[in-house]
Amino acid sequence: MTRSRVSRFLAVAVGAICLVTACGPSNGGGGSELAADQTLRFNMQDDVTSLDPADVDAAVDITFLSEVFSGLYKFDNELKIVPDAADGMPQVSSDGKTWTFKLNKNVKFSNGDKVTAADWIWSWTRTLRRNHAYASNLYIITGAQDVANGAATTVSGLSAPDDYTLVAKLDAPAGYWLSQLAMPTAAEVLDRKVIEAAGEDKWTEQAATYIGTGPFKMTARTPKQSMDFEPVKDWWGGSTGALTKVHVDIGVDPAAAVQKFESGGYEIVGMANQAPGPDDVLRYKNDPTKSKLLNVYPGARTTAVGFNFVSGPFASKPGAKPGDPTNGASNTNDPGLAGRRAFSLAIDRKQLADIACAHAITCQPATGGPITIGFKGYLGENGDPWAKFDVAQAKQLLEQWDPSGTKRKGLEYRYNTSPGNDKRAQNLQAQWKQNLGVDVKLVPSDFPTLQADRKKKIVIIGRQSWGIDYDHPQDWFDNLFSCDQAKVGRGNDEAYCNPDMDKITADANTKPIDQALPEYVQAMKLLVNDVVWMTIDYGTQPYLTQSYVKGAGYNGLYDFSWLGIKILKH
Amino acid sequence: MAAIPSTIEASEEQLLAAEVGEHVTLGQDAWRRLRRNHVAVIGLGIICLFIVVALVSIVWTPYPTWQQALGPTYQGPTLTHPLGLDDYGRDILSRVMGGAGIALAVGVGASLIASCIGIVLGLLAGFYRGKVDMVISTVINISYGIPDLLIALIMVLLIGRGIQNIILAISVTAWLGMARLVRGQTFSIREREFVEAARTIGTPNSMILLRHILPNALGPIVVQATYLVPAAIIFEAFLSLLGLGVPPPSPSWGRMASEGYKALQIAPHIVLAPCIALSMTVLAFNWLGDGLRDAIDPRMRR
Amino acid sequence: MTRGTLIYAAQRLVLITVTAVVVSSIVFVGVHQLPGTALIHERDTNPATTAALMHYYHLDLPWPQQYWLWLTGVVLHGDLGESLVNRGLQITPLLIRETQVSATLGIAAVLITVIVGMSLGTLAAIRQNTWVDYTASTAAVVGYSVPSFVWAFLLILLTVGGFYRWTGGLIYEDIGWGKLEQIPVPALALGLPYAAIVARLTRASMLEVIRQDYVRTAWAKGLRSRVVILRHALRNALIPVISILGPLVTGIITGSVVIEFLFGIPGLGKEFVTSILSRDYNVVIGVFTFYAALVGFANLVVDLLYPVLDPRIRY
Repeated sequence: MTRSRVSRFLAVAVGAICLVTACGPSNGGGGSELAADQTLRFNMQDDVTSLDPADVDAAVDITFLSEVFSGLYKFDNELKIVPDAADGMPQVSSDGKTWTFKLNKNVKFSNGDKVTAADWIWSWTRTLRRNHAYASNLYIITGAQDVANGAATTVSGLSAPDDYTLVAKLDAPAGYWLSQLAMPTAAEVLDRKVIEAAGEDKWTEQAATYIGTGPFKMTARTPKQSMDFEPVKDWWGGSTGALTKVHVDIGVDPAAAVQKFESGGYEIVGMANQAPGPDDVLRYKNDPTKSKLLNVYPGARTTAVGFNFVSGPFASKPGAKPGDPTNGASNTNDPGLAGRRAFSLAIDRKQLADIACAHAITCQPATGGPITIGFKGYLGENGDPWAKFDVAQAKQLLEQWDPSGTKRKGLEYRYNTSPGNDKRAQNLQAQWKQNLGVDVKLVPSDFPTLQADRKKKIVIIGRQSWGIDYDHPQDWFDNLFSCDQAKVGRGNDEAYCNPDMDKITADANTKPIDQALPEYVQAMKLLVNDVVWMTIDYGTQPYLTQSYVKGAGYNGLYDFSWLGIKILKH
Repeated sequence: MAAIPSTIEASEEQLLAAEVGEHVTLGQDAWRRLRRNHVAVIGLGIICLFIVVALVSIVWTPYPTWQQALGPTYQGPTLTHPLGLDDYGRDILSRVMGGAGIALAVGVGASLIASCIGIVLGLLAGFYRGKVDMVISTVINISYGIPDLLIALIMVLLIGRGIQNIILAISVTAWLGMARLVRGQTFSIREREFVEAARTIGTPNSMILLRHILPNALGPIVVQATYLVPAAIIFEAFLSLLGLGVPPPSPSWGRMASEGYKALQIAPHIVLAPCIALSMTVLAFNWLGDGLRDAIDPRMRR
Repeated sequence: MTRGTLIYAAQRLVLITVTAVVVSSIVFVGVHQLPGTALIHERDTNPATTAALMHYYHLDLPWPQQYWLWLTGVVLHGDLGESLVNRGLQITPLLIRETQVSATLGIAAVLITVIVGMSLGTLAAIRQNTWVDYTASTAAVVGYSVPSFVWAFLLILLTVGGFYRWTGGLIYEDIGWGKLEQIPVPALALGLPYAAIVARLTRASMLEVIRQDYVRTAWAKGLRSRVVILRHALRNALIPVISILGPLVTGIITGSVVIEFLFGIPGLGKEFVTSILSRDYNVVIGVFTFYAALVGFANLVVDLLYPVLDPRIRY
């Protein structure tokens, strides 16, 4: 053969061999050398709601805030609270009401501006002034609520004896406050000069004015299409890790994201609370090579069914005004109790998790009360006596609750549409029909409608869910189950008001967590006994990570920091 | 049909007809031609099957369409479950049957309602002309400028989901084509002599519309209505795909397809069954519609 | 461009504007009757803050007043307002960008429709009653019977999953937007059903020309005459195709809603669905207005093409 013929023959042969053996980007990573291109790419389905730490309330947005901004403290990859911009842990006075923070003198913004205690005071005051969802993290400070209400312009409880010391006086001792400060939202420090120059509502729109003290800064943003981040040069905290760029595609749904991942377009799927769909997760689990790329972490979301305590057939005090006590020692006759228990016992949570969560990969059956596995306040497996599956007892309680058969008619289960919610809802409906013979109509709607009706306390049975903000039971009780939150317009959608339970949790709130935990558990048991929430599953967070990407993960609340992620040669 | 001749002319005509051959009506003629069109007959057959299955599914399906966990989820076809199980463990064969019922309801329902609206408005616009026509035509023209999917989406947002609402939402845009068609037909038919004649003898307008114009336009109307059925079915499938179709756990084919698509790589049988059912039904209606159109078309008469 | 055409175009533009305004007002009114707004989130928000937000978006005014503010904003500044969900996001530049995306996709789809459709139809007409004809004709009926989203499923499976696996990762198709090679697949899924319709029309009209006796004779004469005949027949076949071009373009714009959704393309259709699902009313109204205008313009362009292609038609 001539030379050209030989080379052509070889090319064809190699091509043919490749077709058969599938050479090309393989799934096995090579060595531990770093790749030349250290760009981390991943997707988001919807654009961020807001990038302003004072305004943020969505878990998705928080991912980016934690990289661009710093708080005094942060949660590390093991969910321990460690200092971030602060120097060491706070000094707390003996009465628990005065907290002194020493600031790290090296902290500066990505544009070089230095950070002093005055900046912290300004940032926290601004958060209170704007008064969005997580401003409540600072309410415990004396004078904070006055600023939130517009009655004052400065927070009386905050002071700065010198440039690097911050002192906060609290209204009451609060063991949970450190956890709130470690959340990457409201309590982060912002650059006053930049914000005042660019405009209060406009500074997040341009990459140039989106300034923080974190290890990364935003370099580009096309709304609803993409975002780009790069590490900050000479970051005060030291090395910014191996990554040189982070690129986020917006508007890509989970199924498309997985496909792009498979063709090497993304390094990771699942970051920023964007879990791959259960069908894809199942496919990965069942495939021997692919399963190495799948990591499932226990997540921080619980899903439940909430029952209305003041109106409808499940009410414990029918006709009560939302905010009135519905339970407690005084209310021994609870007409709805048997019904709530019946409905809870009639659901086989294992079947639900199996069907709704791809063979129980993306969620686990919930049998230990509302607080998720792995977090403080979890009652342990089968710790919830009404979460077991017992059709006989359920039927008996059903007849006890509704001997005439009228209460069980016309029931509607309300929920907001999403693939996971649809699956759970359909399985709940099927199981109630099969095990109790009760026809519950499914009424899906979008989230704002559901939320509006829930706050009005008119939803009789509805989907409930809570994503943990920080590892402390106070996050649950004070936001979801207190009498104060039972009023119309507030977060206790079931209008459950148990003054005895509130007394216990209020006392627990003042103590450090180790002493407080037994009280919280006691309160949780009361809650579970009244079947306020019929807890069905604990979420998990599945991630798909390329084999050559190291250092990514999830600590139960947040993604591992981008600082530790690196891309190996592949 | 031999009737007693009432006049001499009539009897002569009958003799003539007897010589020439059977006297056939337009309908019989069209039916005969349709029968010869093999593809249309196949389409008709499929549609009959579809209707039978839909009706049967109202009272019986092998398993309840809503019952879950009948076996391991995603299971492929087996003897007890010939089409396999879906991602909830529900029997797909039963659900395809149930889907036929929903498709029938949505398709025929929307087609009927849209046709009624379209026929009435088309007749009025074409017959009375003038201001009536101007108003109706303007409405039609403006509505033509707005994609029907968008109107349906907005309607679903406003009036909510549920099978009646979906039918309504689809009908709201589907009547346009029918109205235009009937209007055009009415324009040409009203110029014919027998309409003139009826008018001169003082027949009220409503009678003219009902007895003379409508029957003559019936051919194209039936064809259009036939085409509307698959269009409505596909429309509902589109809505289901976007998450706004008939609410769960109704086994509409569009819904089944969109749920099954996510599991395409691990369990292709889930999405295949409704897609095939959907495509075959639409194909059948299209074949029938084409056949009807060819059968009724006067140009084809030889 | 004759004077008549200009007048016609002007009249149509007025009609489009009126349509857009009418449509947007209907949507505006309708949407504001709905309970709940996009300003509601999971966490308990302070009523004072919600009130401030409502005031910022003028949601606390009576709706006729809101409408007037919106209308003057659009007409005078071209400002469609700000998104309710993604704060700080200005709607007009967003929609303009997304319209460009959708328009690119739409034009590609129309090109595919016309080119593929007419080629297929011509082929079937030339080879009438042969297996080529029967295959092509059946393919056409199947083509427009199978809904476009099923085609999308098949194409995605083929191009993303299939190519990647069969070539061991050497070739892959990223579904999404931004690269030139990402346009053909969704355009194909979008255009296939309509290509089938065009194919049938082309075939029918070409047959009408070809079947005539004098043509048959000329055809038998050989290659030169055949080319001339084909050209003449093609010209004739163009007329019915142009006549359905209007509904075709409208159909493609509609179909793009689902296709953009499935392929993750950041266009107007996808925006419409996401904004409805997230109750972002400002965006919903903006998208609807854009759509009405878009369809109107597309139809106007098509209607202005008529005199170019067929000089007998004049306005």
